Amino acid sequence: MIDITPLLVKAAWVTLDISARALFFGFFIATALVALRTARLPPLRWLARAYISVVRGTPYFVQLLLVFYGGPAIGLRLDPFTCGVVVGAFNIGAYMSEAMRGAIESVDSGQNEASRSLGFGRLATLQHIILPQAAGLMIRSVGVLAIILVKNSSLVSIISVVELTYQAQRLIGSTYKPLEVFTLSALMYIVIIYAVMGLVEFLYRRATRYTFL
Amino acid sequence: MTQTTDTPMVELKGIKKRFGDLEVLKGIDLRVDRGRIISIIGPSGSGKSTLLRSINNLEVIDEGQILLDGVQVNRPDLKGLAFERHINHIRQNMGMVFQHFNLFPHLSTLENVTLAPRKLKGMNAGAARELGMELLERVGLADKARAYPSSLSGGQKQRVAIARALAMQPKVMLFDEATSALDPELVEEVNRVMKGLAEEHMTMLIVTHEMAFARDVSDWAMFMDGGVVVEADTPDKLFSNPDQERTRHFLRKHLGQASPGAAAAG
Amino acid sequence: MEFDFSPVITYFPTLLKGVGVTLLIGLAVAAMSILGGQIVAVISLYTRKVVSWPLRFFIWLFMTTPLLLQLYFLYFGLGELILIPAIVVGILGLGFHYMAYNADIFIATIRSVSSGQYEASRSLGFGHLRTLLYIILPQAFYRALPQLSNNMIIMVKDISVLSAIGIGEMVYVSQYAISVTFRPFEFYITIAVIYYLINLMMEAGQTWIERRAAYRR
Repeated sequence: MIDITPLLVKAAWVTLDISARALFFGFFIATALVALRTARLPPLRWLARAYISVVRGTPYFVQLLLVFYGGPAIGLRLDPFTCGVVVGAFNIGAYMSEAMRGAIESVDSGQNEASRSLGFGRLATLQHIILPQAAGLMIRSVGVLAIILVKNSSLVSIISVVELTYQAQRLIGSTYKPLEVFTLSALMYIVIIYAVMGLVEFLYRRATRYTFL
Repeated sequence: MTQTTDTPMVELKGIKKRFGDLEVLKGIDLRVDRGRIISIIGPSGSGKSTLLRSINNLEVIDEGQILLDGVQVNRPDLKGLAFERHINHIRQNMGMVFQHFNLFPHLSTLENVTLAPRKLKGMNAGAARELGMELLERVGLADKARAYPSSLSGGQKQRVAIARALAMQPKVMLFDEATSALDPELVEEVNRVMKGLAEEHMTMLIVTHEMAFARDVSDWAMFMDGGVVVEADTPDKLFSNPDQERTRHFLRKHLGQASPGAAAAG
Repeated sequence: MEFDFSPVITYFPTLLKGVGVTLLIGLAVAAMSILGGQIVAVISLYTRKVVSWPLRFFIWLFMTTPLLLQLYFLYFGLGELILIPAIVVGILGLGFHYMAYNADIFIATIRSVSSGQYEASRSLGFGHLRTLLYIILPQAFYRALPQLSNNMIIMVKDISVLSAIGIGEMVYVSQYAISVTFRPFEFYITIAVIYYLINLMMEAGQTWIERRAAYRR
């Protein structure tokens, strides 16, 4: 009888790794999308909107299959792990850009006017006035997305990344102890998700320390 | 179950109610004959709303007896489902109108009125509709039958709420500060509907802050303070020449506030 | 690179069958998760802790673990004990998952209905159960609609995951065609387009429902 715990712990680490990387790159993609959506050239704005609409309107699972199996047809060859990170990042980036935009738009427009009337430029206003006020909401909604990202990362098991769900499925098949395997792997997802929630709460408190909401 | 005509429509005997350590009703007695209109006035926290809600068992009294047309409302001897069945039946004979209207927002105006007769009396859709339209007509809102509560003004909402309560053909109507949440200019339309009911000899218990209206419409007025009835008399006597200093003090503070005649002075 | 969509056209009838299965599963799961979500919410709100706590635990468990893991557990775990067709496992798995999400919403919206509504209904003579049925639940439902329809839009996209346990929806039926024609890109693009169209229609439906429900709140 094999000991399932170390195998699942190792796999949980892969889940965490792939999610963290996707979140990291997803953040930059989201920032770029937010910038594009406020670009002066209309085609750039349309492009960003179309991208967001398509990504949000199609299943992450199909996106993953398309890039992994269909990618080589357009010269895109990625190993499973990288593919998981890349598709995860591009997927969550679209959702995150909407969350960030929502947070920015939640700041009262009078703040923008007041700052601009002082002589701050567009970017300086964003940096010094808008973002500090939007940060709290932004962190919370990105946190929700991070949790979805962790749960979605289970889908990369389909392209044979040995993460938590892949390992769990294999162990259910080989040990015939579905309840034990499920309980243990579920527990690990729960630990990861609660760690993310804790981190989000910590960052939220830091970001809103000086605001009186 | 209808009793002889000399049975009082509502009778309260020694009603006591406490919230934790606070005794809000300290033994209230009241007899309301059929067709009579009783106004209950008093400062906030006097227990007047609690008393009215007790009659509908929305507050459960600790001691005393409540009788509706000779039938006991509170039944400490009945438990669980048996009491449920009893009180649901009793409540069908009482119409309650709330300060905040409590119209059902997911139903149209007409549906608000017809829900109870349809579901509780098994009235068919056509008859219920007819009854509903008749009642909406009576409160002057027949043209709003298909509208939803969210599109009505406060005064209109309260008129619909009155029609809804009337739909069960209650023996008595209970008004719990029916106009307190309304903008001043909307109070009159609700008062008019209530006066109309008074003229049709509906038995009514009215908890109100509107002194002028209370004096105008009721046969008997009751001043409550600190959980007791301080003074009860004919409205003319109570409002113009009360016996008790506490009543006089309260009226000095509140008379005029709501009466149109004195509004100019303020 | 060159694309050849002719295999997609050849296998289009098969793909359409997959679309049919997807839509059928979507309807079944929507019905199960919305109806079940309300029942679970009501039970977990109005019963003793022995009943409500385990229910809350399952809601929480379904919401904090990935769908695919739940599906594997049901498929390989339950499948070991009793013989049930994969499609039933798929509908149950997806159904329970979204039942938990919907129950979570209903619990919040039922709580948000004011006590005045309860009192008004009781004062007319309605009992607790009928008040719940005629007054509280319909209002909670209208309030839940925006989030509910969001959940259902997400749910339809998750039907693609059911291919992992061998259910013949779009992705699964394409996999055979792909293995024969070696055209994964063309097939997956087509599936993505179909999903996107379904999504657009659902979003339009959502707007329509929202407009109709708004004045009933």
